[in-house]
Order: sequence, then C-alpha cells, then structure tokens
Amino acid sequence: MNTKQYYLDTFRVSEENLKQLIATALSGGGDYADLYFEYSTFNELVLRDSEVSSGGFHVDYGVGIRVLCGEKTGYAYSETTAMADMTAAAKAAAAIAAASRGGAGAYCAAPAAGLPSRPAAGFYPVTESWRSLTADRLLPTLKTIEAQVRDRAAEIPDPGISLEKVVVRLSSSESDILMYNSLGELSYDTRPMGSAMASAIFSKDGRTEQKGASRSFRKGPSTFMSESLIGEISRETVRGIEDCFAASRPKGGKMPVVMGCGASGILLHEAMGHAFEADFNRKGQSVFSGRIGERVCRKGISIVDDATVVGNRGACNWDDEGVPGQKTYMVRDGILESYLHDRISAAHYGVAPTGNGRRESFRYNPIPRMRATYMESGDADPSDIIAGVRKGIYVDEFRNGQVKIGEGDFTFYVKSGKLIENGRLTAPIKDINIIGNGPEALADILAAGNDLKLDNGTWTCGKDQSVPVCCGIPTVLVRSLTVGGD
Amino acid sequence: MRINPEEIRLAEHCLAQALAQGASAARISLSKSVTDSFALLDGELDKVTRCTDRSIFMHLYVDGRYGTYSTDRLEKEELDSFVRQTVAATRLLAPDPLRSLPDPSRCAKDAVTGLESGLYDPEYETLEPQNRLELAMASQPRVDAPQGCRIASIESEYSDNIDDNLILDSNGLRARHTETSFSVCCEVTLEDSQGRKYSGYWWEASAFLGKLRELLPDCLPTAVERAAAQVGQGKARGGRRTMVVDRTVSSRLVAPLFSALYGMAVQQKSSFLEGCLGEKVFSEGLTIMDLPRERGMNGARLFDTEGVATLNRPVIEKGRVGMYFLDNYSAGKLGTEPTIEGPSVPVLMPYAGEGCNIPGNEINLPRILKECRNGILVTGFNGGNCNGTTGDFSYGVEGFTFSRGKIRRPVHGLVVTGNMKDLWSSLLMAGSDARKCSRWQIPTLAFGDVSFSS
Repeated sequence: MNTKQYYLDTFRVSEENLKQLIATALSGGGDYADLYFEYSTFNELVLRDSEVSSGGFHVDYGVGIRVLCGEKTGYAYSETTAMADMTAAAKAAAAIAAASRGGAGAYCAAPAAGLPSRPAAGFYPVTESWRSLTADRLLPTLKTIEAQVRDRAAEIPDPGISLEKVVVRLSSSESDILMYNSLGELSYDTRPMGSAMASAIFSKDGRTEQKGASRSFRKGPSTFMSESLIGEISRETVRGIEDCFAASRPKGGKMPVVMGCGASGILLHEAMGHAFEADFNRKGQSVFSGRIGERVCRKGISIVDDATVVGNRGACNWDDEGVPGQKTYMVRDGILESYLHDRISAAHYGVAPTGNGRRESFRYNPIPRMRATYMESGDADPSDIIAGVRKGIYVDEFRNGQVKIGEGDFTFYVKSGKLIENGRLTAPIKDINIIGNGPEALADILAAGNDLKLDNGTWTCGKDQSVPVCCGIPTVLVRSLTVGGD
Repeated sequence: MRINPEEIRLAEHCLAQALAQGASAARISLSKSVTDSFALLDGELDKVTRCTDRSIFMHLYVDGRYGTYSTDRLEKEELDSFVRQTVAATRLLAPDPLRSLPDPSRCAKDAVTGLESGLYDPEYETLEPQNRLELAMASQPRVDAPQGCRIASIESEYSDNIDDNLILDSNGLRARHTETSFSVCCEVTLEDSQGRKYSGYWWEASAFLGKLRELLPDCLPTAVERAAAQVGQGKARGGRRTMVVDRTVSSRLVAPLFSALYGMAVQQKSSFLEGCLGEKVFSEGLTIMDLPRERGMNGARLFDTEGVATLNRPVIEKGRVGMYFLDNYSAGKLGTEPTIEGPSVPVLMPYAGEGCNIPGNEINLPRILKECRNGILVTGFNGGNCNGTTGDFSYGVEGFTFSRGKIRRPVHGLVVTGNMKDLWSSLLMAGSDARKCSRWQIPTLAFGDVSFSS
C-alpha cells in the first residue's frame, strides 16, 4: 500500500499547500471545502480480425476544488497542480459563497493542526500496478480469449451456424486519489480496474446475430487475468447463440416476469436504486421522497448498496468525499431504511453520510451514486419460482435501463430470455424492452430465490457522470410488468 | 480563452518529438475548452461550476503500427516523456498496413482561423460571472403552479462554453475549429393532489448569446406546460397503431440508422445495413442530408477528426442508402474509397406523404396529427435499445393518444417494438419543424402500423 508521501509527491504538493488551498476556498465565507486530486491512467488493447493492432494509453491529471455553502455548491478544477493554478480554481469555487449570501452553517470548518493518515479499508489490495505492464504481457490474454471463442464456436452442434468475426477488448485503469477537506481529514487511495470483453458475430442462412460477454473487477493485473476469467468470457460469448437464431418476440402485454439471478439486478438499479439516491429525495423529486420507515415490499426482502465486496467493480475504500466505504441497507426486511447519501444530503437529513458521494473524475463534483446494489438471498428454490408461473417470461441477459425519478417509471432492455408456459421454460425470446413502475414493481416481488449472484459485467451508471457499478439479485418473481412484443 | 500561440507551439513540438522518436507519421489534436455553469434550485443559486480543459490527443504511426494516446499533462518535460513512452508502446502492437494518415488532397485547407464555420460569438469573451448569474436568474422567472398541482421543484441551469480545436499532421495538415455555445435548461417536477409526480423539461441553445436571450424567457414556462400536460397519465391499449414522434425526441429513431452506416460496423458485419449501399431499403419519403458546410448551423464543421474536408451530401436519398461513414481505416478494411468519419449536421428533409398537398415548409405537429387522424403521439422515450446487427428495436414510450387529429389524453408505460427497416419503410410524414438548437435537424415524424404493447 502506498504511503501518504507517495500521494503528496505524485501531486507535487505539501501538507501546507493543502491547508492554504482550503483557506483560499473558504475565504469567501463557505461552510466546508474539499480537494480531490486524481492521477488516472487508462490502457486499452483491441483484438480485431485476429490481430492486436489497435491500442491506446491516456492520462488524466488534476484537482477538483469544492466549496459548500449550506447545500449550495461551488466547483472548479485545475489540470495542473501548480499552486497558482490551484489557487485560481479555489477562488472560482469560492464564488458560490459570495453569490449565495452565506450558508446554513451545516459544516464545521476545523482544519486539523496535523494531517494524520487514515487507513484505507483494503477492499482491493494492489500487489502489482497496471502501470508497470507493457502490452506484451497482455497480448496472450486477448489471443487466448479469441482462440477459445473460436474453439467453442467450432463445437456448436448446429452446422449451419458459422462464426464470422471476433473482437476482444482488454482495458485497465489505475487512479491515485488524494483527498483533503476542511474537517482536517486526509484520505488517499489507489484504485485499480481491469475489464475484458469479447463479442462475436455469427451467421446462419444469411442472418447475423451478435453475442458478447464482459468481466470487470477492481483488481491489479496479476489477480485479474486468470484462466477462469478467460474461460468464463469465451464460454459466455458463444453460449446461447442457437437460441438467438431461434428466438422470436413474445406477444406483448402485462405478464409475470421471472428475473434470473445475477444481471437481473438491473431491476434494483433502475426501479429502486436511483429513486433512493438522496439528492432526488431532498429536492422532493423522487417517487420515494418522504417514505423512510414505510413498508415498500414484502417482509423478508432486503436490498443493499455495498462498497465492501472485495475486488468488486463497485467497491470503494473511500467514496470521493473521503467517507469510508460501507454497506448500506436501503430496504431491510421490506422497510425503507435509508437513502444513499453524500455529505450534502446527509446534512440535510441529519444522518451520517453513507459513502455514496461519487464522481466520474476530478472534473465533476460528487453526488449520491450507487456502488454494488443487490438483493440478499431469499428462501425460495429458483426452480419452484419458475414452476409456479403458468404463463410469463424468464429473462437473464440485459443491455441497458433507464428510470424517470418522479414518476418511478423504469425500463430495461432484455437481450435474451425464454417463455414460461405451464411452469416450464420453453421458446427463446430476445430484444424486448420491459417497462414498469418502481414502487409497484417492488411491492409486486412475490418470491426471492436462495441463489443471490452478483453480475461482474462492465456495468456503468450514467447519471450525469459515468461511474463503475455492479448489480446482483437472486431469482425473483415480479407479479406483472409490461413486456414489449408483437 | 482560445488556444494561444504558446499552446500552438506545444502542439508543434509534440508532432516534431513524435517524429524524432521514430514515428513515421503522426497526427496531433490540441483541444481547449472552458465551460461555466450556474444552476438554480427553486429560485436560488444552487451550484456554480467552472471547467477548464486542455489536452493533446496523438495518433502515432510507428513501424507500420498504430496507437492513440492522450494526456492533459502539458508541461514540456511531461509531454516529452509521454511521447517517448507512447512511441515505444506502439512498437509492441501488431503491424497493420491499412493504418495511415488520410491523403493530403482530401484534407481541409480552408479552416485557417477556426472561425470559418460561423459558430463563434465574440460576446463570449466579454462575459463576467455577474452576467452569467443574471442570465441564470432570468432563466427562472416566477411561474404559477398549474391548477390542481403544486410545484415540487424547479431546477434550471445556464451554461456557456468555448471549444477550440487544432489539428496538425506530419503531411502538413493544419486545421482549426472554434465554436461558442450558450444554453439554458429547465426541469420542473409537479405533484398532484394524490401525491403523484410529473416532470417536464425544456432547453434552448445557440452559438450566439443574443439568440439565447430571445429564447430564454419561454424556457421555464414551456417546461411547466410540458409537465402539466402529463397530469392524469394513464394507460393506452396495445396493438398496431399510427405513431407520431415529436421533434424533441425523434432523433432517437435516427441514431440507429447512423450507427449502422459506420464503416467499422459494416466491416465487422455488425450492421443491419451491411450490403445495402445504393439499395432502396426505406420509404421513398426518407431523405437525410448532411450539411456540415452550412455556415452558422449548429454542428457545422469544415473537417472531421482526421482533418478530412467535409462536404454537403445526401446520406439517405428517397429511401436509398447513399453512403457509409468511412474513415481512412474502415475504407481500407472494406477495400473502398473513404468518405467522412460521421455525420455533422444531418437534416431529415420534409415529406408530406403520398397524395398530400401540404407545402414542404409548413409540415408541423398539428398538421401531421390532422393528417394521421388517430394514433399515439410519442413525446418521450424511456429506455429501450436497438440491436445494431439485426435492426430489431424495443423502446419504452410515453406521450398522448390522439383522435380525429386532436390530442386527447396523456399515456405512459407503453413499449413500441419492431425492426428499423420496417419502421422507416412505413414513414408516413416528416415535418419541417426540426429544432434549430439541435445539431441533428430531425423533425416530427409519423409512421404507420407500429406495434405497441401495454
């Protein structure tokens, strides 16, 4: 683990510089200020037409300076850490205090005399830096994934299906983060991320279909690249391609939907998670505003947002406001227990921040965001859940989703699934949108399986800013959702 | 605020360094932008943001290999080290003979000052924080809650931006593009007497502040009106109906067409328009022009990111696919001539439908509803996607039912499903009412026999 001095050296600042910048930021009368230094590197290699002939390397470096005046925000950043440039940014952020006639005094500016180190939790231990790797260490992984996709495609029983193209992408990033605030808290972190994906185009009788798979973890290279990762991605890229060619769209309309374990966690992310983000609630915009303590779903159902899953894409030792990563129960045993808070909303509600203040980079101010959002396992047998549905659909592969916060209307796009007829999975289906209403869908969860699974794909949430997230769920039955179809 | 001579010298130095380190060719893009925004919440200033960005993007060609690199660390020593590392990193990739700079004869020679596209407003340079605050405050005039509702929240944001880009390459290309933009966006959440919430938004944007000042006062009232129109939202029955798509959201249905026209999608066989070049695959009524050289239009540009000169030309003409978007590389992969990397100012041309005598410049929403008589007017998409390989799509939608040419009641929770080729073959009408503030000029559209689920 890197030391405090490593981060100070990386950003070419001293502890005295940090204190001076906070003083400048608060010189106009704000209540609270923080600094967020970031040095991120991004690597990408792409295998296309059987050659790794495309690659990239990108650097992002700078500091974001925020001033809060009550619930009002001033924000500016500098792409250099020269003191003159940072001071200019601090003054720009301080303008909020001058423009908003003082603040509510929700924060206590109390710079500490010294800057003690705060130990990070270690949710993503780094033993080897992505930055130490050159492309030649990564090329075998790309080529092996491609080879395994081709081998598995050659074993598809239907001789009419042929593999046309394979693309494999391996990307990695590493971010050094240093945070300091007017409470005197100094935090630092190194955040690795490795992501791999493969996609393949297949043809049959003049038609083409695409399949793909991805995995993403907060891990360094030596623990990220493994035989099991290669095996999972290549297997998933080919699995189900026969169903793709055979699939049709169901007859549309309202019907019971069984959501398979894992990626179906998108239901929680779209239908509930966003509406539980506390910025929407403190502004009175969310369909769940003012409902803390109310029953929102059946007893026995608990939904959490968790920063503590080791190596997970949504793991955070600290959030981007220097609040320790933690596990937050949004719904416990059916009762709405907590929103997801940043420092602003926590002060508004008079509660402790939940470590959900996240941002895409130093270019953005933090706002409440999800991390790894999942439902804890229930007690139903997944096969019994399916067996209990006379007519409906089963879905297990998704592409994207969206929600309208005020109305609670959410959707997600289903890549693949099956019809359920008389308790049995039958014909394959694909490319349908499902739509529902968050509070209604939550109340309509009739059963939760005992098979919680986190989906480790490259999920990215795009609420104004992009941040890596994860979702998961056990198999669940939703009484009724609107399914697109012919 | 624009790129200064010292920064230009830095870009030139970067190019020279890349060649000195062993690159056989290189392209350097220097970008500089400043964005200021003032956001209000319920009449009070809520957030002030200042964003200043400067970065260099490099395309390096080394020993027949190719890599792309970027950094915002523009101190000379940092940059020299970065160039050295990236030239070495490129050598580790596989050779690719199709990677090369575009032929100099195809590159823009008329983008000298950056101002040629007519999108730069010198008034930008005169703005002070106080001016911006006043514009932000003006974006949130006092509005009354519609009858039967209370206003749960009003958010608005004024922002302005200057964006300056310079491209240099080792073949002698030197092209610059500068533009300013000014925008305001308002979002309103209403709550009815039963506690149900309805949100509405509206935005205006222009490259010129004077134009935005004219449009700004109506922004919030329009957002309130749009939110209020949804009060009492209900369900509509599913089935095959006529679908009219409002001009504010109609670009959602055009985007999959463009995605399928990209050369890399065609070459990788992941495009539902593969093999369709020159073929008539859509309705006779579908014509999309790309007009990047219309001075002053949002999105106008004289060159693409490779430096290739843009042209005004048809992308789809009377239902026939007129071009693929082919940059230098994807054209080489397909063994054909390059065109341009992508659309700049796509304009979907008016179409009144067969046997309809409306003048082409008067086709707006009321006229379209009148002609179509009955169906669903879509004013918002809620999620969904299009499978780029097959063209199959499924989107969540909301809007209004209409009958006998009149809007009747708000509806939500519908899913519209189909295939892009079929949808655009059933185009009934295309308006002349595209919003000028958008880069994509996509008007109100009408389609026949569309599948709705509810």
